[in-house]
Amino acid sequence: MAAPTQPDSAIGGSARKRDGAALLTGRAVFVDDHQPTGMLHAQVVRSTVAHGRILSVDTAAAEAAPGVRLVLTGRRAAESAGPVPYFIDPAARGGNRTDIRCLQVDEVVYVGQPVAAVVAETRRQALDAAALVAVEYEVLPHVLDAEEAMLPDAPRLYPEWPGNVVMHNRYGTGDTDAALAAADVVVSGELRIGRSTTSPIEPRGYLASWNAAEGKLTVHASCQNPHQMRWMLATSLGLDEGDIRIVTAKVGGSFGLKMQGHPEETLVALLSILTGAPVKWIEDRRETLMAGARQQVHRFTVGAMADGRIVALVDDIVADVGALTAQAGWAMPNMSATTLPSGYLVPDCRIGLDIVVTNKPPVNAARGFGKDAAHFVMERAVDIVAHELGLDPAEVRRRNFIPADRFPHRTSTGLNIDSGDFVGLLDKVLDEVGYAGIRARQGGLRHRGRYLGVGLGFELTPESSDSPGTFVSGFDTTTVRMSVTGMVTVLTGVTSPGGGNDTGIAQIVATELGVPMEWVELVQGDTDRCPNGFGNFSGRSMVVGGGSATLAARDVRDKLALLGSRMLDVPVDRVEVADGVVRVVDDHSRALAVPDVARALLTRAFAVADGIEPVLESTRAYKPGNIDHVPDEFGRIQPYPTYSSSLHAAVVDVDVETGKVVLLDYVMAHDCGTMINPALVEGQARGAVAMGLGSALSEQLVFGEDGTLLSDRFKTYLLPRAGDVPELRMVHQVTPSPFTMHGNKGAGEAGVGGAQAAVANAVEDALAALGVRVRGVPLTPPAVLALIDEAAAR
Amino acid sequence: MTPRYSAPRDLVGVTAALADGDGVVVGGGTMVVPDMTHGRTRAAALVDLSRAGLAGVTAGADGVVVGAMTTYTDLVEAGVPLLSSVATGITGGPQIRNRGTAGGSACYANPASDVPACLVALDARMRLASAGGKREVPAAGFFLGGFRTARRPDEVLAEVVLPQLGNALLGYVKFKLAESSWPIVTAATVAVPGTALRVVVGGAAAVPVVVAVDRPSAGSGDPAWRDHVREAVHTALDAAEPWSDVLAPAAYRRRIAPAIAARSAAHALEEDR
Repeated sequence: MAAPTQPDSAIGGSARKRDGAALLTGRAVFVDDHQPTGMLHAQVVRSTVAHGRILSVDTAAAEAAPGVRLVLTGRRAAESAGPVPYFIDPAARGGNRTDIRCLQVDEVVYVGQPVAAVVAETRRQALDAAALVAVEYEVLPHVLDAEEAMLPDAPRLYPEWPGNVVMHNRYGTGDTDAALAAADVVVSGELRIGRSTTSPIEPRGYLASWNAAEGKLTVHASCQNPHQMRWMLATSLGLDEGDIRIVTAKVGGSFGLKMQGHPEETLVALLSILTGAPVKWIEDRRETLMAGARQQVHRFTVGAMADGRIVALVDDIVADVGALTAQAGWAMPNMSATTLPSGYLVPDCRIGLDIVVTNKPPVNAARGFGKDAAHFVMERAVDIVAHELGLDPAEVRRRNFIPADRFPHRTSTGLNIDSGDFVGLLDKVLDEVGYAGIRARQGGLRHRGRYLGVGLGFELTPESSDSPGTFVSGFDTTTVRMSVTGMVTVLTGVTSPGGGNDTGIAQIVATELGVPMEWVELVQGDTDRCPNGFGNFSGRSMVVGGGSATLAARDVRDKLALLGSRMLDVPVDRVEVADGVVRVVDDHSRALAVPDVARALLTRAFAVADGIEPVLESTRAYKPGNIDHVPDEFGRIQPYPTYSSSLHAAVVDVDVETGKVVLLDYVMAHDCGTMINPALVEGQARGAVAMGLGSALSEQLVFGEDGTLLSDRFKTYLLPRAGDVPELRMVHQVTPSPFTMHGNKGAGEAGVGGAQAAVANAVEDALAALGVRVRGVPLTPPAVLALIDEAAAR
Repeated sequence: MTPRYSAPRDLVGVTAALADGDGVVVGGGTMVVPDMTHGRTRAAALVDLSRAGLAGVTAGADGVVVGAMTTYTDLVEAGVPLLSSVATGITGGPQIRNRGTAGGSACYANPASDVPACLVALDARMRLASAGGKREVPAAGFFLGGFRTARRPDEVLAEVVLPQLGNALLGYVKFKLAESSWPIVTAATVAVPGTALRVVVGGAAAVPVVVAVDRPSAGSGDPAWRDHVREAVHTALDAAEPWSDVLAPAAYRRRIAPAIAARSAAHALEEDR
């Protein structure tokens, strides 16, 4: 934490978000605010069947409708655009793949899949004309459930595949059979994680402007990965990368959904090329809600000794990823498997994973990136072991955590955890939530008909991943440039989805350069201006964006110090740059304003600056440590530099007549190493916890038997509102990473799985007297009441 | 297709605009406008009641007369029995309460909403007007099914008349899955001294269901009384058309309805103290 004398702009200070005033006063410019002259509007015609062959697409009525400029079919689109390249290609990992098209040509595999597009002068005209496109299908049998999709006679989404499994993988090391045989207790369970979604306030949207005279394409996009999108559009449209500019300046929430790879990205660019006009497409909320974030079934067996030590973990995972997508979402279940032993010393693990396609819209990348499922399952398993042994769940965690002096620690699944103090988090959270007091009160409350429960959820959050040969990159690049007036422009390859990493990077640059933060301007999300980079995902922005900004800022600082020392006539090791001046370390009265030094370098290069290269600019890449892609003897690689950790405690009151779960209290003890900006860390953590609470209690994407999404608005897909969520209390612990520039670890993802687990464990704890055993999330009132009835019937 | 739009200056103008039977009435617009935005409603003609002088609460000889355009906020300010407390709990906050109307909600007749069961509990009379004249329908006969009422397409709900309640006690409980959820089951209780409780359950069936419930002799927590409520509610629901939506199946609604009914009765009786 910042010392009281430090300014908020220092590393560790809670500087306010730089764009806060613009956002609050409506002056921030999002993609839908761009209105270039002559702009047209696109609407996507989507499949109305879950599986079918396209027999015909009749566009005549739509083409004749008022204002319509273009109606594009899949067949015609395929003449001008190739397949959308994968963010992570399943074939590169030994899996099955299929060509992903911007519009389907022959077959559709989910309700909502794009089959045609309409461009008109107004959004309303495009909407009306889209309804006039008549698509005739030969309806084929479909399958909505992943386990049914694995049956030999199930309908096949992709006829060229041997089945509906994208890939089957095994993870873990050790002899689980022997360990289970030697265990004092063996417990098994089945857990189902329902399909929920991310719901950013701003839906996806793209504005493509084709300049035919210059042969150049500019795309404004609500997207996390502008450089990857530029490459993708160059590939799918056959353009030179240098002729494409992607601008993603202001984004209203992403959560992984806006990682590149969606069909509409290529589609909207193609529509602009074909019409010769700027074309905008802004997603409707119904379309946003099609995107899944997670859906898995786990069947696990855990062996433990009488003292609570867990000795073996076996888990078979069936992950339903909907239809295959070029987006990164299909790959998330790999991390569910890899993260499973979490922060526990489980020597023997055997995890099987089937990633399965079904006739539903794709599961897209989402905060947690599969790791959330691992936490939910592992934390349920720990609670079941505690229950079986008659031990307190907190104590079982304490006995199984990797001790703080055992890092780096390699897990059975291959992750090399950099650092942490998980027992420290446990002590903090138990103290803050008043665990002993709650335990003491529970019995008395139960006599009065109240069902109070407390649940814990530990979360280990691998962050800043690197996947070799893909655009999931573990490094990034930043330019720091000082002008002749001393003003600083930072151009970085990481982008901000709205979480505030621009503020954090500005703090780092201001601190490293020794200038006021107001002098620092951040430029992100513009492929023509920023160095090649990879955008935001995997909690990477402050680790690699902040790290590379640090290196670049230090280069510029060194140049200022060198010239400043010459102008002050002292050795360079006797000057420092701070508070906007270059000054003598032990005599602050001898100081030069940074702008004066900058001007001297750039205007007196052959005089006082003679012999110093007159450039106040540096571009640096930063690669954190602890990434290892050389497979070990078990074939395991180590793709994450840092591992944040958190321990969550939820206190709930369950209404046993209705099944309603009321959250009474919530504490998160959080450790993401050094915090660059604690206020922004807390903002991210609260958002992640709220997302976890929603998916634990009320959020659920519901499909009809025909594959139509029924929960397609916020009256049927229930996000938590302020009244549903108690004050989310935060406690911090700082265990710096030895492998990153400032000791910081990823922050922003942690919270989803921990919240799910803490709530599920709290509900089971509350209903322990009734013999209730939680079997999944969301724990909606109907689901909880069904569990109560089920327990009563046993 | 852009619908014809009119905002008549009086009730005669409204009924004239509706005479063709193809008009959609817009009250506060909190249902119709989103439905049109999302293509769920396609209207040939829109008849906007906002200028027709149908707002306001007046006390008459035969009860309280609530104009069809009276907003939830108006109901709160006028202190209309039961409806005012319902109005404070309408999901959506001040924006919805300042625009939405109880009359509009009644005509929309979503089984998963607050107003229908309350109007039945209050023995409200629905005054309908058309070019051919006026008629009055009791609330219990107004709701015919999910999103179906006795209002003909050429009619408008002009007023709702709420009879005097005397010294009856009132209770209302609404159960939702989460803050943003539609009501799943509601229960309104009218307790007239010396008589059985009149509990009207909403959301558990396609239309509000009236249940006569004995007063608890040993408090609302008495298991025997709870059994009686469960039996009474289930008997009443057995005779009604079940209701399901995306949020909750009919079986769940039926399962929790007795508990919500009992809580509503307890809520009414506690006002005694």
